[in-house]
Amino acid sequence: MRGEDVRTLSADVVVIGGGSTGAGVLRDAAMRGYSAILLDKSDLAQGTTGRFHGLLHSGGRYVVSDPGSASECASENAILKRIQAPAIENTGGFFVAVPGDDPDYGDRFLAGAKATGVPASEISVADALRREPRLNPGIFRAIEVEDASVDGWQLVWGAVNSAKQHGARVLTYHPVTKIDVADGAVRAVHCYDQRRDEDVVIECSFVLNCAGPWAGRISELTGLPPVPVIPGRGIMIAMNHRLVNTVVNRLIYPADGDILVPVHTVSVIGTTDSKETDPDHLPIPRAEVQQMLDAGEQLIPGFRSARAVHAWAGSRPLIKDDRVSSEDTRHMSRGMAVVDHLARDGVKGLLTIGGGKLTTYRLMAEHIVDAMGEQLGERRECRTASEEIPYAGGSSSYVVTHRLHDREADRLDDQIVCECELLSKSMFTDLLAEQPTSTLDDLRRQLRLGMGPCQGGFCGTRAAGIAVSEHAVDADRATGLLRLFLKHRWIGLWPILYGDQVRQTALDQWIYSGTLDVEHLPTPSEEVVR
Amino acid sequence: MSESNAKKLRERLNNELKRASLDACVKCTICEQSCPVSAVTPLFSGPKFVGPQAERFRDGASVDHSVDYCSSCGTCSVVCPQGVKVAELNSLARAVLKAEHGVPVRDRLITQTTLMGKAMTPVAPIANAVLGNSAARKAMELVMGVAASAPMPTAHGQTLRGWLKKRPAPTKAPTRGQVVFFHGCAGGYFETEAAKCAVEVLEFLGFEVLVPEQGCCGLAEQSNGLFEQASSSVRALVGQLRKPGVGVPIVSTAGSCGGMLKHEAHEILGLDDPDLLDVGRRTRDISEFLMELHDAGDLPTDFAPIAARVPYHQPCQVRSQGIGMPAADLLRLIPKLEVVESGAICCGIAGTYGLKKEKYEIAQAVGKPLFDMVLETNQGVAACDTETCRWQIAKSTGVKTIHPIQLVHQAYGLGRVEGL
Amino acid sequence: MTLRQAQAAGSPAPGARVIVIGAGLAGLSAALRLAQAGRPVTLVTKGAGGLGLSQGTIDILGYAPERVARPLDAVASVASEHPYASLGADAVAASIAWLRDELGPELLVGDPAVNLHLPTAVGSIRPTALAQPSMVAADVVGGRRYAVVGVRQLKDFQADLIAGNLARSTAPDGGPVAAHPAWIDLPARPGEADPTGLTYARAMDDESFADRFADAVHAAAGECDVVVVPAVLGVRRLGVWRQVSERVGRPVAEIALQPPSVPGLRLDRALLAQVKAAGVRVIQGAAAIGCRAEGGRVASVTVAAAGGPRELAASAVVYAPGGFESGALDVDSHGAIRERVFGLPLSASDAFALVGPDFWAPHPLFAVGVLTDADGRPVAGAEPVLSNLYAAGGLLAGAERWCEKSGDGIAVASAVRAADAIIEGSAA
Repeated sequence: MRGEDVRTLSADVVVIGGGSTGAGVLRDAAMRGYSAILLDKSDLAQGTTGRFHGLLHSGGRYVVSDPGSASECASENAILKRIQAPAIENTGGFFVAVPGDDPDYGDRFLAGAKATGVPASEISVADALRREPRLNPGIFRAIEVEDASVDGWQLVWGAVNSAKQHGARVLTYHPVTKIDVADGAVRAVHCYDQRRDEDVVIECSFVLNCAGPWAGRISELTGLPPVPVIPGRGIMIAMNHRLVNTVVNRLIYPADGDILVPVHTVSVIGTTDSKETDPDHLPIPRAEVQQMLDAGEQLIPGFRSARAVHAWAGSRPLIKDDRVSSEDTRHMSRGMAVVDHLARDGVKGLLTIGGGKLTTYRLMAEHIVDAMGEQLGERRECRTASEEIPYAGGSSSYVVTHRLHDREADRLDDQIVCECELLSKSMFTDLLAEQPTSTLDDLRRQLRLGMGPCQGGFCGTRAAGIAVSEHAVDADRATGLLRLFLKHRWIGLWPILYGDQVRQTALDQWIYSGTLDVEHLPTPSEEVVR
Repeated sequence: MSESNAKKLRERLNNELKRASLDACVKCTICEQSCPVSAVTPLFSGPKFVGPQAERFRDGASVDHSVDYCSSCGTCSVVCPQGVKVAELNSLARAVLKAEHGVPVRDRLITQTTLMGKAMTPVAPIANAVLGNSAARKAMELVMGVAASAPMPTAHGQTLRGWLKKRPAPTKAPTRGQVVFFHGCAGGYFETEAAKCAVEVLEFLGFEVLVPEQGCCGLAEQSNGLFEQASSSVRALVGQLRKPGVGVPIVSTAGSCGGMLKHEAHEILGLDDPDLLDVGRRTRDISEFLMELHDAGDLPTDFAPIAARVPYHQPCQVRSQGIGMPAADLLRLIPKLEVVESGAICCGIAGTYGLKKEKYEIAQAVGKPLFDMVLETNQGVAACDTETCRWQIAKSTGVKTIHPIQLVHQAYGLGRVEGL
Repeated sequence: MTLRQAQAAGSPAPGARVIVIGAGLAGLSAALRLAQAGRPVTLVTKGAGGLGLSQGTIDILGYAPERVARPLDAVASVASEHPYASLGADAVAASIAWLRDELGPELLVGDPAVNLHLPTAVGSIRPTALAQPSMVAADVVGGRRYAVVGVRQLKDFQADLIAGNLARSTAPDGGPVAAHPAWIDLPARPGEADPTGLTYARAMDDESFADRFADAVHAAAGECDVVVVPAVLGVRRLGVWRQVSERVGRPVAEIALQPPSVPGLRLDRALLAQVKAAGVRVIQGAAAIGCRAEGGRVASVTVAAAGGPRELAASAVVYAPGGFESGALDVDSHGAIRERVFGLPLSASDAFALVGPDFWAPHPLFAVGVLTDADGRPVAGAEPVLSNLYAAGGLLAGAERWCEKSGDGIAVASAVRAADAIIEGSAA
């Protein structure tokens, strides 16, 4: 019961936020010998990192607009490909100019690339079209770069598992309720264990607020003047198959909808940029969906006839920059912002992080842990760039064929639970055994369950049923998990309910409602929300 | 094929609009329900699996060899309610697989049906003896992987051209205009009876039948992933069939080959030549052609009765043409003839699939429901529109199997089918 | 007489047949009804119809929105825009009874006036009017004890989930339900870990395999009134459920799975066989792509075939292509809804305005469709669009069919209405 049971833990540093920033910081801190605990109010990488474009930047996007970012991206791109290859697919990237684009930008791009150390080389239009036949045949310029695609969850889980190997602890579904500040220093972090209905207190001497778009909210929990964080919302749409196998960018000054990224089995078009106030409520406006489809049509003629399979909104965590109007979030600096509360509020042991991008997460973490060390008056060496992050499946880069290859080998011996994404039963039950309190979405993020064309239509029931048979949950909770899964899938379906996906949804409803009558299952004693 | 050529082929096929039909797949499993191969063996995971599902994972190297178990019967595409070109996706995947891993010599030889005909015909009795000799066949199985028990064509002493040259000139003057006759390799060399009957029926109906010099349509090459060879074969044939003039119907007794001209060369090989499209538009299976006449009120139906029960099997590559079952409709116009549709999806031979050692048992299992049905219902004769299917049925049941036009020929009083 | 002269004279062209578009429940029913009345019928279909995806029962009305016990009574009280409103309960009852009698008691049993309540493959309880004889023993009645027997190799029947949910349910009559799971380990084919229900059903067509299945079920089931198993009890051989029940020694009932659905396939095969036996020409792989109209009538239907389109001369058309699930109703990327073949007016045109964020709320989008007159002819305003064009099945506006469990009843009743209107010559 709340208020009665309070678990007490202690650590040198508490990291708040389980996105790429927090995961990177946790790993770095743990490798430097700090005892560290990471807290997240829900699952890992449910925030910005779980809702981004899937792009590992080559730096090309920033060579003109933000040269500092460009250089950082270029060097971190190479580092991550070395230390976290299984999370990354070496797709390569193109920057292409379509009819009507600024004809001079290409030269500025190449000059900027040279100046910032971003590898870039011009290729012939014919070559670009040969390699990517779906591209707009009217493109007039093409430049090749080292963009790659990255699975944000694989990235975060990898870093977190590495951190755990170095002694760190991770508590998901533990929202922070209060941060104790006394005598000019941080003393403890209070949080609530949602699954066990229990309060937890963590005594610590440092708090790293890596909560992304929620960092402002977290800063309010200190009792200090809050840090103003503007969630800069952008939408993305996943198209059902890889329209391209190379990342394709528009060769223009950065704008909306100018990138198409092949990630796993889909291609993702994005993104937009609108100021929001509440990071927990990010709409997917109809007008923005149309804007993204138009943007896709510029790159790939016939894009509007291709199948959109899911849409989502993520928000960039931007700390308010007094130089630019707060309404225009795109032109805020992408660089990381570190608010040192010692300087700002006279409180030791608290840093709030904003901005940044996933590609440079490791470097961001390095800066943050360095800043922490500086405040603590010590200098411990960062080794995150040199140590490979271990993954269960080996250390080579991700290739999209790998699940097909694996299922070809084991399809006569193992069931396939999610046929769209070729997820085998063993993969599912293995993860479920490790993480038995997971929701189906928690599992989905790491396994891609329900992320293919049928969007859970065929695999949802199997997953819920197997969870019961594996004794992870009873039928009551399994029903709740299934309901939650369907409800969550819908969030990303209803804004793009057209074309082939409306047929799919009709069939899925026919199955779930018509054949299975899932809506008339005895409702769980309590609606499952996590 | 070299690695770079394979890569080029993959680049050509990758992301093209055909591939985009995979977007229409809603995973409904209707194709898998109808697949005759996955019904008999777990080695093939079904058309949805190797087609629209696996295609989302394909880029670069071919990793799933099980696509080779697809027999290209085309049933999946016909039954798909969403318009996914499942069979075409499978064919493309197989072509890439073959490009990367090579096409066995055997597959190159089996596909040269015209060459076989030309080579075999002058020495027909010897050729037949070899093909009928089980020791020789065992040797072929070991060396080339052609199944010892698989049906092989019988060479004739006289080709169709030979017969056309030597026969007395037709006495009736044509009253209805011209048709171009496409006989296919079998009709030309191995199984000329159906072709002869077709020519005589068409002439009886008042058509002037033009039979240009014609080669192979390339279907066998295509289904073995030899896309370059298939393309040049079909292009040559198109030129030959257009020679007698445009605007003339092209009528065929080669059931499956008609499908190659009508749609497969375009859909699978990706050929867009206006000449090919023109030929495709004008091509009719002979039963289809006669039923169109009938529906327009222009087919004489004073048939002599044939008192017999005949099982009729429509080959998958005729069903996939989307013309219904005109052969059955046509045969039912003959008084006293009881036509029993096979209800079977595929005879198993699927062109050259069932000739292959490692596919032979699967092919026989696929065809078993058909063979059982033929054995149960036949009264001496069975009917089917494609020659390879006829050989498969005859070999597996011992029942004489003819082209439906041969029954029409008899019903018009132009001849008799032996054994009826 | 040439085609043109015939049409000018108002009579159908020589060779003109009734064209039925669609091979789902509505299309097959209409074709059968027309052929039985002696009309020459050609049925054209893009692919196989949707019966193989359905649960193999005939739903008339399951929820309105509360659970319905007597569907014909509920049919009589539907809203005016519901397809049942113009059909009427008597017509619905008569057409369902007709279909049941056509297919025979080996395939469909039940009384259209009273719903059965059958367990589903997640353990819910679903009302339906007619079911297959292999299913009715599972009718949920208070006090019944179920053994839910799953097959380890079959992933689409999760027995623990099903039994767990049944056990926490209340029967429609208010009584308790008891259920426990059990499992058997029986590969359908050696060396195969991932079979479908259809793989099993094909294996069960063989009597000795069905005996082995029954023996395994018998050994595993334990104490119960009814044994429920996944719907795998044969696909060609209809007596499998009887054989298995006898051998198990207790009533055995099968529960329909998600596709591939074996009971759906049984209905599909049977209905298609009847349609062909009645002399209907069936053309598969022939998507309808348009028509030629003359003098306010359909003169011919254009279908896609290999090599190029074909014109099929039509005396009348029954258009039963399905709704959104088949793509007959299409939504483009701007959200515009249209009917793809004839461009028929629809009950709404902007899809994005008809869906919202709440998954569990009704989705008005899926009730969009074609509006018809009392004979089933699509109308523009009050007038039929074409005097010999009729619509049936999922294309009709006014019902979110899978929520209320009404799709089959709407399909059959509207198909029979259309067929009868053509037979009785009410086409102008």
